[in-house]
Amino acid sequence: MITRWMVRRLDDRLGFSPVARSGLNKVFPDHWTFMMGEIALYSFTYLVLSGVFLTLFFDASTTRTTYEGGYAPLAGSEVSAAYASSVQLSMDVRFGLVARQSHHWAALLFTGAIVVHLCRIFFTGAFRRPRGVNWVVGVTLLVLAIANGFAGYSLADDLLSGTGLRVANAVLLSIPVVGAWAEFLAFGGEFPAEAMIPRLYVVHILVVPALIVTLITAHMVILVRQKHSHFPGPGRTDTNVVGSRLWPGYAVRSLGLLFAVVALCLLLGGLVQINPIWLWGPFEPGSATAPSQPDWYVGWLDGALRLWPAWEPIVFGHRLPALFVPAIVLPGLTFLGLYLYPLLERLMTGDRAPHQVLQRPRERPGRVAFGVAALTFYGLLLTAFSIDVVSKFTGIPVYLLIYTFRVAVPALPVVTGLVAFVLARALRDSGADGFLALTWADVRGALRRRKPVPEAPSATEEPREAAPEEPDEEREPEQAEPEPVRVPAGPVP
Amino acid sequence: MTGRPARVPRVFPLVLGVLVLGVVLASALPGVAATAAPSPAPGTGTAAPPRPGQTQFQRGESLYQSSCASCHGQAGQGSQRGPTLIGVGAASVDFWVGTGRMPLAEERVDAQRRAPAFDEQDIDALVTYVTSFGGDGPAIPTVHPGDLTLGREIYLQNCAACHSAGGSGYTQVGGQVAPSLLEATPVQVAEAIRIGPGQMPQWPEEVLDQGQVDAVVTYVQELQRLPNRGGLDLGRIGPVTETVVGFAGVALLLVVIRRLGKRAP
Repeated sequence: MITRWMVRRLDDRLGFSPVARSGLNKVFPDHWTFMMGEIALYSFTYLVLSGVFLTLFFDASTTRTTYEGGYAPLAGSEVSAAYASSVQLSMDVRFGLVARQSHHWAALLFTGAIVVHLCRIFFTGAFRRPRGVNWVVGVTLLVLAIANGFAGYSLADDLLSGTGLRVANAVLLSIPVVGAWAEFLAFGGEFPAEAMIPRLYVVHILVVPALIVTLITAHMVILVRQKHSHFPGPGRTDTNVVGSRLWPGYAVRSLGLLFAVVALCLLLGGLVQINPIWLWGPFEPGSATAPSQPDWYVGWLDGALRLWPAWEPIVFGHRLPALFVPAIVLPGLTFLGLYLYPLLERLMTGDRAPHQVLQRPRERPGRVAFGVAALTFYGLLLTAFSIDVVSKFTGIPVYLLIYTFRVAVPALPVVTGLVAFVLARALRDSGADGFLALTWADVRGALRRRKPVPEAPSATEEPREAAPEEPDEEREPEQAEPEPVRVPAGPVP
Repeated sequence: MTGRPARVPRVFPLVLGVLVLGVVLASALPGVAATAAPSPAPGTGTAAPPRPGQTQFQRGESLYQSSCASCHGQAGQGSQRGPTLIGVGAASVDFWVGTGRMPLAEERVDAQRRAPAFDEQDIDALVTYVTSFGGDGPAIPTVHPGDLTLGREIYLQNCAACHSAGGSGYTQVGGQVAPSLLEATPVQVAEAIRIGPGQMPQWPEEVLDQGQVDAVVTYVQELQRLPNRGGLDLGRIGPVTETVVGFAGVALLLVVIRRLGKRAP
């Protein structure tokens, strides 16, 4: 009653009801893969909430102080204020350790969900016109998430993150000509510089989060403006959107996911140890701990550093340090390739038409092959970041592992890409439901370079007739539900 | 799948089956090989029960001749198969035999920590006998409760680079491993510091005094009983296992959205 009165008074003055109505009526596709991005969104929400809590206790300064908290092996040690406050908030602040650990776990989930979401967009061709803009925004969000993760775990000024900063510093120095300038610009002096931690702090809690919030907003506004894409199916065309309305159908589902994400962050934060900085100890330039790895989203670069041989060629009179290629050129090319992929594919296929209907991955065996090869490549690099730990637990000598990976990293993606290509083509040509329904004949046919299906590229995006007679246990309850909502596609007028 | 002829040999179950079989075989094979060919043990730790009236020295001599002499020589002078024991000191004998690394289980393999082959009295007898070869190697150290903070500082500066900050050990170049310290007794830790077994450097009295050794030993004990603050400790090896758990978390959330959403029409 009171709420209704208040809402009415407010609406009289602000007039938001048309916006709210159209917002609540927004149609979301029902397919489960459309929620991958929401996992990232809700992880980020939790990151902000837990991060605010952490800022209340963290002191981002390299000033030496004496730790006088409850952790006995550190009592009376002179350490940086950043490290002392990190241990203090872990050991002496109620809920502090759960908050710190769940914040860190949420970061792993956030970046993980972004990559999974990226894979979905990639393999279904959701980046095609008109969604190239949102692809660029999304890739930027991935870069920012990785950067902020690195800045975040480096804040605690412990021995492990200090080792990571040392590597980052050396990577900056490895840039020919401008390396030393870049180091002074970023670190504010020679390593370990006093300005390091305060700068990382500003980057981590202000600059990058503000950028991420802005870009997430842009991501969503563009999404609402362009409307969702959807998978092919009966009654789904390039001119409509099929799914559930935000209210009441989709909102409940989405809230459920929010609760699941927060619950998982808190459960992991409370039950599974992550980054026990009290064990690593404070960062001292002369000390090192082993094994030392970065978090996984930087781990592929660490793996590349471990595998790259110590070649230092001289180019135009400048020595290229061995760090330069794996740590500067590799990520540079990676993200450049990601940014430009929609453009490259458009150039390759000549497909410039706008699309609302997604492709099944099999419809583009070439894209599947490229994607699988890339995932294999980066997956192998990420695995290579653990070779010393693998060596410890298996007894295989480190160098044997390094040489094996040096062969596997360039070779295996070719193999997996080819296999993916053949399988995708077999699936496309046979119309089989999934891998398990494939037969030898399908695979042989795909190997033999069967004549392409006589369809123009645009015709393949026609709604594909699913086999309705197929008795599918999953379908039964769905048919009892109300018909999905259909609205016209295209920008909101 | 209407309109398609029945497809007889289904590829994927077959491929999967072969893969699974391969993995199972590959994981089983080393075990099979190990049990099928028991390695010749040059110095087995099978000691005859002590004869009544045998002195500790005689007992040590008989154990030495049966379990050690084949490699280290009749009088501890060493041979092609093992180094000399003259002058190694009591701490060394007590450490190598007490941690089960000697007698070697298998020739030409890194000595691994095992259950000791001899009981405490027999180890003492061996110590007495081997130190009688002469020399002035380090004696078995005594340890006292030390300063925890100092111990942490020394440990992180000198030990963590090889044994890892959490004390769980780490791999070294050439297939060597710095072992985990989580099973070591306080005296064994102090002995290892003094004698520098294997690849480990030696820290004599002039480098680390008794108080500093006590401090390190105390910190290692703290590592051993450190309550797992923050939950399950994932082996204390940092982001490698954290990555595995993080990916499992993402997979779990994918299952959640799979249950929340629907499949393609």
